[in-house]
Amino acid sequence: MGLFKRLYDWIDLRIGAREIVKKELTGYLLPKNINEWYSLGSVLLVIFTLQVLTGMLLMVYYVPDSEKAFKSVTFIMNDLPYGWLIRLCHAVGSNMMVAVLLMHMLSTLMMKSYKSPRELNWVTGFILFTLVQGISLTGYLLPWSQLSFWATTVATNSAAAIPVAGPYLVEFLRGGKLVGPPTLGRFFAMHVAVIPVVIAATIGAHLFLLKRTGISTPPFGAQEETGHPWPAESYRYEEHPGGIPFFPNYALQDLTSISVYFAVFLAVVFYAPNLLFTPDAFVPANPFQTPAHIKPEWYFLANYQTLKIFPSELLGLSVQGAAMTFLALLPFIDRTPERNPLKRPLFLVFFLGGFLLWIGLTIWGHYS
Amino acid sequence: MENDGRRKFLGVCLAGATVAAAGAAAYPVFRYLAPRADALGSKKLEFASSELPEGEAKFFEYAGSSAVLVKTSAGAVIALSAVCTHLGCIVQWEKDKQDFLCPCHAGRYSPEGVVLSGPPPRPLAKIPCSVANGKITVG
Repeated sequence: MGLFKRLYDWIDLRIGAREIVKKELTGYLLPKNINEWYSLGSVLLVIFTLQVLTGMLLMVYYVPDSEKAFKSVTFIMNDLPYGWLIRLCHAVGSNMMVAVLLMHMLSTLMMKSYKSPRELNWVTGFILFTLVQGISLTGYLLPWSQLSFWATTVATNSAAAIPVAGPYLVEFLRGGKLVGPPTLGRFFAMHVAVIPVVIAATIGAHLFLLKRTGISTPPFGAQEETGHPWPAESYRYEEHPGGIPFFPNYALQDLTSISVYFAVFLAVVFYAPNLLFTPDAFVPANPFQTPAHIKPEWYFLANYQTLKIFPSELLGLSVQGAAMTFLALLPFIDRTPERNPLKRPLFLVFFLGGFLLWIGLTIWGHYS
Repeated sequence: MENDGRRKFLGVCLAGATVAAAGAAAYPVFRYLAPRADALGSKKLEFASSELPEGEAKFFEYAGSSAVLVKTSAGAVIALSAVCTHLGCIVQWEKDKQDFLCPCHAGRYSPEGVVLSGPPPRPLAKIPCSVANGKITVG
């Protein structure tokens, strides 16, 4: 212990480490009524880190060539020591990321943390949501299985419904008229280089905004009234005097949530690895044979079913576009200061209705 | 403090569990990245005797490294590692001089792999080979 203290003192003399610890850790006070949902952000950070690490490891052996991609993934799964573990962590992790992201978004919506002065936090969060969908879509193609190939064909085809520029946009996305080797090249570049960097930068912005504005107070069990409008006079950091220190108290909650996440995540990796794989995921891509019952991943099923419902693909896309735009601009549309959802029945109806609609469409999409 | 002993004990347990978890995570990554013991090492290779005319050399891969078969003017077939013992460059066969020349620092070896001149410290490693029924078997 003496050595650690000496090292800490040495660093403290040079960068004022004790002051940083006091400001960012032990002296960083959170609202007394903070709940577990607030720890989902750190769970997402851990998931993203794991995705980057496992992704880098996969890149050592994966070959982004249409002739070799499927074989390289099979090699990783069957021949390489613990290759199956790395690959499954990456595949399962990507699904978990979307699931936890949706939970994070739903809890933010429910507790109205998107309201003033946190509009930018919501917007950066929404951008992250879109980027995660993009990285999932591009990553899906890389194993070059029948499932990868045809799910990408279906997904990129939907852009054709956009008037005028649609067909060209599809060709541009694919790098050709049909999904093929050029598609693999550009999707690989997007998946391993472009999108991760943009996600990292956007996370930086998201965290900066969070720290600069201050943590919101949950509207449940709050000491004071929850309906006060934010006085938009000048910038003010939202303090929580007498609150809970982030370290070690809420850091422990973060650690607990991360542990719970790992329990669920590793249970799937070790005990249900084929949960998210269909038989088509084990057959190399055949550009001349579309298998029956090709479906997108679970998080795109609602979009898929919506497109099936509307007679015109353009209408289906427009409805989804409108819904996403509404969600993205929510802090600018919903301006009432009241944050307690039990005092906002209209919001609650929309929230629950929207959530159930999404669940319903997803289940319908699975069985249709 | 009364509970200090208990606290220290729990701290040690937590540290131990963390180290174990880190090890459990690091071991698969190490095995995943470590170069694999090549199965080629134990495999024998066969060549037709006609593939190797007298006074000529044939380069091939053996046990994950470069190797060379040479048939001397006396008719003997020798298998050697083609990796120069100086700094690891691959030697070339000089048909006119009937020796091996390393292009990096001009080390020279006889057809039997013995150092003739230059900086190489040791002869070229020998690889077991035999000739029977018009076939050369290496390994």
